[in-house]
Amino acid sequence: MKISFNHLKNYVDINVPVNELCDRMVMAGFEVESIGAEGENIKNVVAARIVKLEPHGDSDHLQICQMDIGAENLVQIVTGAQNIKEGDLVPAALDNSDLPNGMHIKAGKLRGVESNGMLCSGEELCLTEEDYEGASVHGILILKDEWATGTDMRKVLGLDDYIIDFKITANRPDCNCFLGVAKEASVVLGTAYHPPVPTYKTVGGDIKDFIDVEVKNYDLCPRYIGRVVKNLRIKPSPAWMQKAISASGMRPINNIVDITNFVMLETGQPMHAFNYNDLADKKIIVRNARDGEKITTLDGKDYNLTPDMLVIADGEKPSCIAGIMGGKESEIEDDTKDLFLESAKFRRDSVRKTGRALGIRTEASGRFEKGVDIVNVGFAMDRALQLIDELDAGDIIDGALDRNQGLPEDKILNVTSKSIVDLLGVDIPESKMLEILNSLCLPTTANDGVLTVRVPSIRDDIEGRADLAEEVMRIYGYDHIVGSAMRGDVVRGTKLPSRIKSDKLKSLLCGMGCYEIATYSFIASGAVDTLKLAADDARRNAIKLINPLGDEYSTLRTQLVSSMLTVMATNINRKIDSGRFFEESKRFVAKSLPLNEQPDELPTLCIGLYGKDEDFFTLKGIVEEVMTLCGAHTQYKRSSEPYLHPGRQAEVLANNVSAAVLGEVHPEVAASYGIDTRVYVAEIKLDVLYAINKRKTTYKPLPKFPAVERDFAMLCDADIPVGDLEKAIISGGGRVLEKVELFDVYQGSQIPEGKKSVAYSVWLRSAEGTLTDAQIEEISAKIIAKLEKLGAELRK
Amino acid sequence: MKQQLEQIKSAALSAIAAAENSADCENVRVKYLGKKGELTAILKMMGGLSPEERPIMGQLVNTAKAEVDAALGEKIAEMKAKATELKLKEETIDITMPAKVSKTGKLHPLNTVLNDMIDIFQSMGFDVVDGPEVETDHYNFECLNVPADHPARDMQDTFYLAENILLRTQTSAAQIRTMETRKPPIRVICPGRVFRADEVDATHSPVFHQIEGLVVDKGITMCDLKGVLEQFAHEIYGKDTKVKFRPSFFPFTEPSVEVDVSCSECGGKGCRVCKGAGWIEILGAGMVHPNVLRSCGIDPEEYSGFAFGIGLDRLTTTRYKISDIRLLFENDKRFLDQF
Repeated sequence: MKISFNHLKNYVDINVPVNELCDRMVMAGFEVESIGAEGENIKNVVAARIVKLEPHGDSDHLQICQMDIGAENLVQIVTGAQNIKEGDLVPAALDNSDLPNGMHIKAGKLRGVESNGMLCSGEELCLTEEDYEGASVHGILILKDEWATGTDMRKVLGLDDYIIDFKITANRPDCNCFLGVAKEASVVLGTAYHPPVPTYKTVGGDIKDFIDVEVKNYDLCPRYIGRVVKNLRIKPSPAWMQKAISASGMRPINNIVDITNFVMLETGQPMHAFNYNDLADKKIIVRNARDGEKITTLDGKDYNLTPDMLVIADGEKPSCIAGIMGGKESEIEDDTKDLFLESAKFRRDSVRKTGRALGIRTEASGRFEKGVDIVNVGFAMDRALQLIDELDAGDIIDGALDRNQGLPEDKILNVTSKSIVDLLGVDIPESKMLEILNSLCLPTTANDGVLTVRVPSIRDDIEGRADLAEEVMRIYGYDHIVGSAMRGDVVRGTKLPSRIKSDKLKSLLCGMGCYEIATYSFIASGAVDTLKLAADDARRNAIKLINPLGDEYSTLRTQLVSSMLTVMATNINRKIDSGRFFEESKRFVAKSLPLNEQPDELPTLCIGLYGKDEDFFTLKGIVEEVMTLCGAHTQYKRSSEPYLHPGRQAEVLANNVSAAVLGEVHPEVAASYGIDTRVYVAEIKLDVLYAINKRKTTYKPLPKFPAVERDFAMLCDADIPVGDLEKAIISGGGRVLEKVELFDVYQGSQIPEGKKSVAYSVWLRSAEGTLTDAQIEEISAKIIAKLEKLGAELRK
Repeated sequence: MKQQLEQIKSAALSAIAAAENSADCENVRVKYLGKKGELTAILKMMGGLSPEERPIMGQLVNTAKAEVDAALGEKIAEMKAKATELKLKEETIDITMPAKVSKTGKLHPLNTVLNDMIDIFQSMGFDVVDGPEVETDHYNFECLNVPADHPARDMQDTFYLAENILLRTQTSAAQIRTMETRKPPIRVICPGRVFRADEVDATHSPVFHQIEGLVVDKGITMCDLKGVLEQFAHEIYGKDTKVKFRPSFFPFTEPSVEVDVSCSECGGKGCRVCKGAGWIEILGAGMVHPNVLRSCGIDPEEYSGFAFGIGLDRLTTTRYKISDIRLLFENDKRFLDQF
């Protein structure tokens, strides 16, 4: 809400500079977005007198002026103008000055003669004849009034106003106007508030003879007032009104339109002016639009209306989209004879929905959306008529058509002053509360500790104790609130078990060189195609946003892999040669589609790696550590994720439950992300891992007896997984087997085709005593027997 | 014989002094102290001495032997020390050569900052809770006193998934779930991801993060709110930080305030960081609206409470002076490595 500081003074006595007013308004709940000084684009331009004028020796049109600028020394300025003489008072732009036309003036030389500025024309100061007499003269502006030399030109031109832009919070639509702000300012400053008191003359007649108003839908239009003004005398509105309208960012048009806009800015109530003579059947019907109805609005655009939209129709057709914009047909024009004037309240969500559906937002619709006061509808109409009368803009016909289903009574609240003190924690005297509430136009009395407050409808944001506490506090001053230490039982805050586990996992992953990433929860709908997921893959059942910012962000993700691939692609494309990343976030799994209840939000961990030292097994190592941390016993199975390399991927079972998939990304999938190197990803279901009950750690005594190491080298079929060989060794070794370590796998020369050579080191240790040779031989034999069952042949 | 002993001794001592390596020392030992060494030999010659002279001479020889032995020992030790010194000198390395590390990764800056917050509030007795990111209209709006015709409901601001199901626009939704499942005294924070239909630019992101705080108990006042926020501000911005309340409006709190802290950069004098104001707006807060308490089955006549919501992304970008919020979601490793 932009307001001229000078105009505001018409309604409230302001005894402080603009900055102080703004600071105090901020502390009362009215944030100031900006304070714009009028003429702030004129800098270092002063009224100066030409003391001496002499010709330039080297030019036949330049003149050298010695200027009195109110300083000790005269200043020399060279000018090309001819309309000046000694003794003239003129605007002089001094060295390092700014002009409103964007010019920046600096000292320099003109044909070898020093010039310390420039004498200005009216045009250079962006002035018209209306702003200052003589401004349109070709040549330098000769100042008419007597000003001391050195006076700032802004003062000379009367540019001493400020435009304050207040940010009005959604609970105070009543302050979206001059009067609302003025009333608050009067309370904040403790000065008098004098709103206009509307009175006007009428010319007789009876409105009923001119028009009929019918409201068909009181739900969407609780109050509608119509008045008729005859014999319009359309002309420009007076300068003061134009200035006030312009300051608030609206364009002056003519007296009638300007009055409606001015009254809206002043009272917060939008008005609409219809050309009375264009209203068919002399009827105003407030009704829902009919299927197929159309309207051409004031700005010349055509709109198709639907039955959920409220219109102001005449006897035939819609003439105005209620609360939003008027129709072209009934527009006020220079030759309009008679006026039908509207002041009404429309339901805010109705205006919002219609405005949104049609894509129109106006000063008026914005106010209706925030809410207007039903009582104020009448005040605004009276004020508009007062201005019509004062500006002699037309003849007001007697009688108003005021359609409503009853106006609300003032609300009476009874609240103890103690309960307000209890909520705030500040001991505000009851007398102070009374003073503040009364000054805010909330008539209040106190009786035995109970405040009885009468709340008018314009303050329907006030519902009870908390609201009254706020009203009192914002005027009493929030600086009175002094921080107090937390009271109550001393407790330590807790974290959810899942957060504790997640924190540990993240430390582990960071320790292993992985960087945590953060990506959006919604992804492109096509991501599942890029990952080549099968047509019946459950991850295709993603939840779609109804109003996404674009297809790129259109579905809630059911997997984290595509986001990870995007991040790795970004890094690879920026020539970062390696990277380890992880993200812990949620995958969203709908219980049913279309969505009719909240989906499952499953915690998920995604890990991605690339670089010359990375391969399937470095990733497997990281996954293994994650599993161990969560207390999972793991098994690996070949898997068939379509986005992974068919021969380099595995499913991980954690305590026999499928918990993760890892592998090298399929080169074609990688390529569609713009990745031309090998990248590895793992996706881990943390919901599965978090569900594992980790066994409590108990100490095991350190071994007392030595371990024996035995190596087993064997030849076996090349396609036997080493995991199977390892399982055979473990089962053969039994209780005394302490550790198995694969140390060699070889295929190639000296190994028969289709075979491979595999070698393990095995450590055996007994807790009961040193193993004897016989015992060792017996265990070795068992291990060998198990291996041979798999077709392995021991190499001696 | 005595003279001969002196000669042998001084010859031995000069041989020791002249010794250049351990082999020389060994030779000296063998030559003088060995079984067939000269000092050993002289002992054997003592048979020819008178019984009176024998002990005297014996003692002299033993003294000489000890003296040589000690000198030799000293020499060997000295040579060992020298050898060690030489060896260590040869092993000198260029300590400016690169370290051999297994590089550790980093938490995302948002979570680094979040963890600091959690520590602060946990130490003040706040439990850390979670809430769903996909919320119902009921929890995200209705219970938070945002009626159906409130502008905040608008499709412009909220991502909808179905008629009454949406991506939460504020962690405040978790307030309601907390109050439904716990009875006062309640002291929780709920950090989490929130969503608003804002086009992406340097200061806006459709996905961002908040930390919601909620305290409900008997006799909670606005001074308590200020006390908690002061504690928080002192931990985050330094001991001398001042906290200022400015009246504001949120549907779910009443009274509502914007909370400013004195600019830590200039101490409140006004600078580029605070745009000359001396204060930086950090969060919104207020006393829980009676309608909100009521909708959760808590009697506002008996209990009161306060709530606050901190924007984690903004806190992160100001802490690290990150100029563009998009960097947080781009995940360039060189960016992530800085925090």
